[in-house]
Amino acid sequence: MSSVPIIRHFADIQGRPRRLWTQSLSWVLFLIGIFTYTQFSIIRHKENPEDRVIPSGAQLWQGIKASVLEPAEEDDALDPGASTLQRVTHSMLWKDTVSSSRRFFIAIALLIPAILIGLHMAVFPYAEAFFLRFILFFDKIVALSLLPILFIVFGIDEWSKIMLMVIGVGPTLMLDTYNTAKSVPREQVVKAFTLKSTNLDVAYRVVLKQILPQVINSVRLNLKPLALFLFAGEMIASTDGLAYRIAIMRRHMGMDIIIPYLLWVAVLLFGMDALLRVANRRLHPWF
Amino acid sequence: MVLAVPVTVKELWHERRSAPFEIALNDVSVSYAVAAAGRKTVLSKLNLEICAGEFVAVLGETGCGKSTLLRLVLGQEFPTSGSIVVDGKLVTRIDSRCGYVPQKYSLFPDRTMIQNVMYGPENAFCGWLDRLLPSYRKFKRRLRSEAEDQLLRMGLRAADLNKYPHQLSGGMQQRVAIAQALMMRPPVLLMDEAFSALDPSTRASLQEQLLKIWREIQPTVLFVTHNTSEALLLGTRLIVLCPHCEDSEESNVLLDMQLPRSSDTIAVRKQSREFQELREFVKHRAYGSSSRQDEYQPVPGLDGRRDSL
Repeated sequence: MSSVPIIRHFADIQGRPRRLWTQSLSWVLFLIGIFTYTQFSIIRHKENPEDRVIPSGAQLWQGIKASVLEPAEEDDALDPGASTLQRVTHSMLWKDTVSSSRRFFIAIALLIPAILIGLHMAVFPYAEAFFLRFILFFDKIVALSLLPILFIVFGIDEWSKIMLMVIGVGPTLMLDTYNTAKSVPREQVVKAFTLKSTNLDVAYRVVLKQILPQVINSVRLNLKPLALFLFAGEMIASTDGLAYRIAIMRRHMGMDIIIPYLLWVAVLLFGMDALLRVANRRLHPWF
Repeated sequence: MVLAVPVTVKELWHERRSAPFEIALNDVSVSYAVAAAGRKTVLSKLNLEICAGEFVAVLGETGCGKSTLLRLVLGQEFPTSGSIVVDGKLVTRIDSRCGYVPQKYSLFPDRTMIQNVMYGPENAFCGWLDRLLPSYRKFKRRLRSEAEDQLLRMGLRAADLNKYPHQLSGGMQQRVAIAQALMMRPPVLLMDEAFSALDPSTRASLQEQLLKIWREIQPTVLFVTHNTSEALLLGTRLIVLCPHCEDSEESNVLLDMQLPRSSDTIAVRKQSREFQELREFVKHRAYGSSSRQDEYQPVPGLDGRRDSL
């Protein structure tokens, strides 16, 4: 095995790939994916030129154009002379993205108190005694099993979906913040008190400030679970949103729309993750 | 509304400055449960009185309770029995009047050197609302210049002041930690093996500086160290904690002596025969070597030495 050079490199812990190698290797799996997809698509289209299960490049392009430039079915048709910008902002993809993003960001805003509860649990012993056992238990409840209750309590419109995300990710975020804040050395807290800090100073100016980069990383890691709960909610009961569109298209075998939508969701999450990563690095150069 | 008055930070400290505090430990015992061995006693019926302005060096081998003693005075830990009184007040929680220099984790990693040093006085003189006042900027500028002075006095370079702790060596970090504590002009200064991670030359220079600062602001210092020479050089009194001795209050404080303080430099003092002999004796006591304690013969001329055994 070790006689094959590339395998020898992959098995070398002390290997130092050059920049060109790093760049090239990072794209290989993407290329393999595209190649495999294309091959399967060609095979299926040879059997049936109208195949919609694995759409060809041309079909995908049509699907993307339809998503990005054509209005959703429920909207009135646009004036034929409308500009590209108008077409984009009235398109199916745009409207679905806006709807899903609104829910997503409201949920993130509602998760800020979860971070603060986690911080308080770690710093204030009485808050720890009050919250910890309940949150450890609540964290074990499968959030999706609460969906019927949420529909009954909040109705089937926006709030049930937002609360599903908050309930699904909140306890994890609280516990993660709690564990991170607990790992701040005790010496730091003691030192802060000897430097005339108040309790709030210690909690917010010493502990929170130190753990903030890790909390942001935790939010980054929870972006996908958040999207998962959003999709679950939208697929079950919604009239708009990215997951709603995917669910509708599934009924019509509209893979030419579903695949661009899936990739778009991945791009959005990847972009948000990259944005948080860059912000973290800029805001916390010491981390 | 401290900030409304245009004074320097030094003047603010002068207004608030209190005399150094006395510390008293009365029958203090500390023990904790150990899985296999029932209970482990760290300190047993320790009685100790530290006068205001004393520089007390605490010596002893690992696990004898030196750091525990420090944490008890600080209020970070509480005794199983007995009481600790600082400036006439029973210690029941972390005492913000104490300055504290731990062995590690002493700086806030999210703040630069200068921000670390400014953190304490900022808290002491500005409430959250004060920071919204226009005079806050002026105060902060003055504070910054005084913090810079303090750091430069500790031998740091101006170029390093805006660096984060992880960008500096352990020695430099420890200098900042000491400067951070001293900026508060604490009436009690607790140092837990603060110089242990430093190279000999940095250590010697910091010892000199610490003595100078101690003479200047005269806090009560409790200085925990493993280094016998350091303890003898710096302390006006030496306390050796001895885990080998059976209980009784004397067993904990083996040697309790007043060392002659003079204007001698540390180097001269270090070379003296008295110093060498004392060092050997304390080493035997603290670290339980084969030498017997009664082999020690007091050196004539060391007035004020008092052996408590």
